[in-house]
Amino acid sequence: MTVLGRLKSWEGLLLAVLVAVVAMNVVRSPYYLGVTNIANLFQLEIEKIIVALIMTLIIINGEIDLSVASVMGLSACVLAWLFQMGTPLPLAIIAGLLSGLAAGLFNGFWVAYVGLPSLAVTLAGLIGFRGIARILVEDRAIGGFPLWFNTMGQQPVLGPMTASIAIFFVLFAIIVVVLHRSALGRLVYVIGNNAQAARYSGVRVKRVKMALFAASGVVAALAGILYAARLGSVRGDMATGFELDVITMVLLGGVSIFGGSGNLVGVGLSILVILNLRNGMGLANITGNTQTSVIGALLILSVLVPNMAQVLQSSWKGRNT
Amino acid sequence: MRKYLVGAVGLATVLCIGGVASAGDIAPGKAMDMVLLPKFLGILPFDQAHQGAEEAAKELKNGKPLQFLGPTPENSVAGQIEITTNATTQGVAAIMISNNSGDQIVPAAKAAQAKGVKVVTWDSPIPSADGEDVFVAQVDFTETGKVMADMALNILGADGGKFAILSASPDAANQNAWIAAMKEALKDPKYAKLQLIDTVYGNDQSEASYNQANALVDKHPDMKLIMAPTSVGIVAAAKALQDGNLCGKIKVSGLGVPKEMLAYAMNGCAPQFALWSFVDLGYLTYYTAYGLASGAIKAEEGATFKAGRMGDYKITKDPTRAKGLRVLMGPFSIYNKDNVEAASK
Repeated sequence: MTVLGRLKSWEGLLLAVLVAVVAMNVVRSPYYLGVTNIANLFQLEIEKIIVALIMTLIIINGEIDLSVASVMGLSACVLAWLFQMGTPLPLAIIAGLLSGLAAGLFNGFWVAYVGLPSLAVTLAGLIGFRGIARILVEDRAIGGFPLWFNTMGQQPVLGPMTASIAIFFVLFAIIVVVLHRSALGRLVYVIGNNAQAARYSGVRVKRVKMALFAASGVVAALAGILYAARLGSVRGDMATGFELDVITMVLLGGVSIFGGSGNLVGVGLSILVILNLRNGMGLANITGNTQTSVIGALLILSVLVPNMAQVLQSSWKGRNT
Repeated sequence: MRKYLVGAVGLATVLCIGGVASAGDIAPGKAMDMVLLPKFLGILPFDQAHQGAEEAAKELKNGKPLQFLGPTPENSVAGQIEITTNATTQGVAAIMISNNSGDQIVPAAKAAQAKGVKVVTWDSPIPSADGEDVFVAQVDFTETGKVMADMALNILGADGGKFAILSASPDAANQNAWIAAMKEALKDPKYAKLQLIDTVYGNDQSEASYNQANALVDKHPDMKLIMAPTSVGIVAAAKALQDGNLCGKIKVSGLGVPKEMLAYAMNGCAPQFALWSFVDLGYLTYYTAYGLASGAIKAEEGATFKAGRMGDYKITKDPTRAKGLRVLMGPFSIYNKDNVEAASK
C-alpha cells in the first residue's frame, strides 16, 4: 500500500468513525439534531478549531507551535488592558492582532533564522507570552465591553452561525486553497519532508517558516479575541492548555508529527469527530475525566493504528518474498 | 411543674415553626432534571455538597435523578461553560453552579435563563450577578471575622495575648476579606487584650505553611496563638507545634476540616476551630433550586422558604456584591474535642 493509499484509508476510517458517532448521538439524544445544538457544538470549541487550521500547516511543515494558547491569552489581555485604559475597542482589537503578529514573528525568527528547534522556542513562548498576559491583567477580570463586541461573539449572524463559525469556514476554504492548490502549499510539504533537500534545491525555507509562524500568531490572536467576545470578559488564564486540544485535532486528522504528510480533509474530519463526540457525551451527561479519557484513547489509537498497519504490512511483505 | 413547662415551651416552638413554614412550604414530588455543577470533580468538599444535595433530592422526592457533573481541574472554565450550555440544550429545570469562571460564565448562564432554566450559584457566585437567580452563600464574610476573633478570645482567655495569622496566598480574595473582617472585629473593646502581631503566607501548601509556622514560633517567643483561616494552613501549623512539643504553650485555631483536625483537637493543640458544612450547603442549595424551579419560591427580595431539616431561610440583597440576591446559610460550626469526633465521620 502506498503512502497515499494509507492516507486515503485513514480518512475513510475517520469518516466511518464520524458516521458511527453521529448515529449514536442521534439515537441516544433527542436534542442532538436541533439547530441550536449543532451551532453550539461548533461554538463551544470554535477558537480551538480555528487555531487547528493554521496548526495543520505548521505541523506539515515539520514544526510545532506550542505557544498558540498563550498567544490567544495575550491578544485577549492586550485588548482588555487597552480597552480599560480608554482605548476605543476597534483600536484595541487591532493592537491585540498585532501582539499576535509580534509573538509569531518572534517565534519565527528563532526557528527559521537562528535554527533553534520550534519545540523549545514555542515552549518558551507558551510560558513567556502567558506571563505578559498575566502581568497586564493581573488577578482580575476585565469586562464591560460594548454590546456589539459581545454580540459578535455570542449571537448568530448568518442563519444559526455566529461570526466565529463563519470565520472558521472562510479560513478553512482559504487554507485548503493555500495548502492544496498553491505553490506555497507545495513548498510546505517539500520542506516538511526534507528541509535540507529543499534548501539545496533553492527553496526559501526560512521565509516559508517565518511566514507560517507569523500567520500562526495572527490566527491565534484572532481566536483569542473571538474567545473574549464569546465570554464577554477577559482573565489572565484565558485559553490555558488549549494548545494540546488543538494539536490533538491535527494529529487525529492523520497529519504526521514528523512533517511532510497529512491534509485538511483529514483534519476537517477529525474536528467533526471530536466535536460530535464531545457534544454527544455532554448530552449523555458524561463529563470530566471520562470525557478526557475517551478523547485520549482516540488519540492513542490514531498514533498506534497507522504504525501498526505499517509494521504488519512490512512483515507480510517479508513473508511473501 | 417543670416537666409541664418544658412541654409547653416545646409545643409553642412546634406551633411557631409550623406557622412560619406554611408561608414558604416547598411541595415535594415534582420530577425535574437538576444539575449540580462544582468547580471541578475530585475534591472532598464538593463530594460532601453532592451528598447533601442527594439527601435533599430524596426528601423532596424528585422523580428524576440529580446529575452531578463537573469538569476536570485544568479545564474548569471552558468545562463549566460547556456543561451549562449542554444542560440548557437538554432543557433542565435548574443548574446549581459553584462558579469558577468569574463573569465568563455570564453569556452561558443568561442563555440558560432565557430558556427558562433557573440558575442558582453556591459556594462561589457570579461576580456581576448577571445570569444568576440567587446565590446560596455559605457564611457571611463579616461573620467569619467575628467567629475568628471569638475563638481567639475563648482560647486566650480574659488576659488575652499575642497571636499571628497564617494565611494562604497574599492575593487570595476570600482570605484577605476574612482577615480584614477579623481586624475590623478586633476593634471592639471586648477584644482589647488580643494583639495581632504578624501575618504570614504559606500559599496553601503543606510544607511552606509548616515552615512559616515554625518561623513564627522562632520570631515571636511570646506568641500564644496561630490563627489560620485556611484548611491547609491550620493542619500544617498544628503539626508544627505538635512536632516542636509546643502545644502546651501555643495553640492553633482557624478554619479547618474536622476529619483532618481530629487528632489536634483531641490532644489540645487546636482547642477550637470552625468551618461551615459543605453537606448542608449542598442540601440548602438543592432546596433553593428546587423551590425556584417548581415555582414555590420567587427569586426576589423578601421571599421566604423552609429548607427541610435546616429550617427557614429568606432571600435578601447580597451586601457583598453591587447587585444580586443571596440566601445566607451560616452559621459556622465551631468544633472542639467534644464534637469533632462526630463531625469526622
